[in-house]
Amino acid sequence: MEEPVSGRISVTNEDIEIEPMIEAAKQRTSGAIVTFLGMVRDDGIESMELFAYDEVAVHDMTEIRDDAVRQFNLQRVDIVHRIGHLRVGENILLIVVAAGHRKEAFQGCEYILERIKERAPIWKKEYLADGHRWIEGDHP
Amino acid sequence: MKVRVRFFARFREAFGPELEVDAIKGETLLEIVRRAASSKRDGYSTLFEEDGRLKRFVIVMHNGSRVEHADAEQISVAEGDEIAVFPPVAGG
Repeated sequence: MEEPVSGRISVTNEDIEIEPMIEAAKQRTSGAIVTFLGMVRDDGIESMELFAYDEVAVHDMTEIRDDAVRQFNLQRVDIVHRIGHLRVGENILLIVVAAGHRKEAFQGCEYILERIKERAPIWKKEYLADGHRWIEGDHP
Repeated sequence: MKVRVRFFARFREAFGPELEVDAIKGETLLEIVRRAASSKRDGYSTLFEEDGRLKRFVIVMHNGSRVEHADAEQISVAEGDEIAVFPPVAGG
């Protein structure tokens, strides 16, 4: 069995190149790659700004990745979270998970997403025609 | 000794990105946050209840690790420490 490969974990202002990340995730023994792509949804907003406690967000996402690799026997995980000003339809978060089998890949990807949402110090501010509002999570 | 208090998200609008606090030996994380909060108009009520407790949703980190409110009352700061204060996260 191949050793798990560390993928990219980052918080960035740059857009995400999805295809090369999926290609890079493939291992000889991979049977499944599951990706999650979060985007800016049109909830009557004009745009969104994302902020992070960058170094802690990367540290937290790295720990979440390591937990997921152990729990679900994953082969490789990439997590890229964007910050900065984004328009409706732009990419926010890409998670790429490679595993031997689909069940592990799906479960691992969902686990990573949910842990990021409850733990990684990242925030969203939505801009509307008449002002702005902060989106606050459910996890104090 | 100098301690850095960083604020994020909507707290940054109230306090700015960070404040440097001159800490006294033995001062706790909570005491430093209380002093930082009090340095801005309406800052105290942004983070604290009237009875002096931190509001439930306020998250405190000490050098990159989350700290329970009860522990923030006990942990003393050291030279160069970084305290972060922020509302619930909303990434993903």
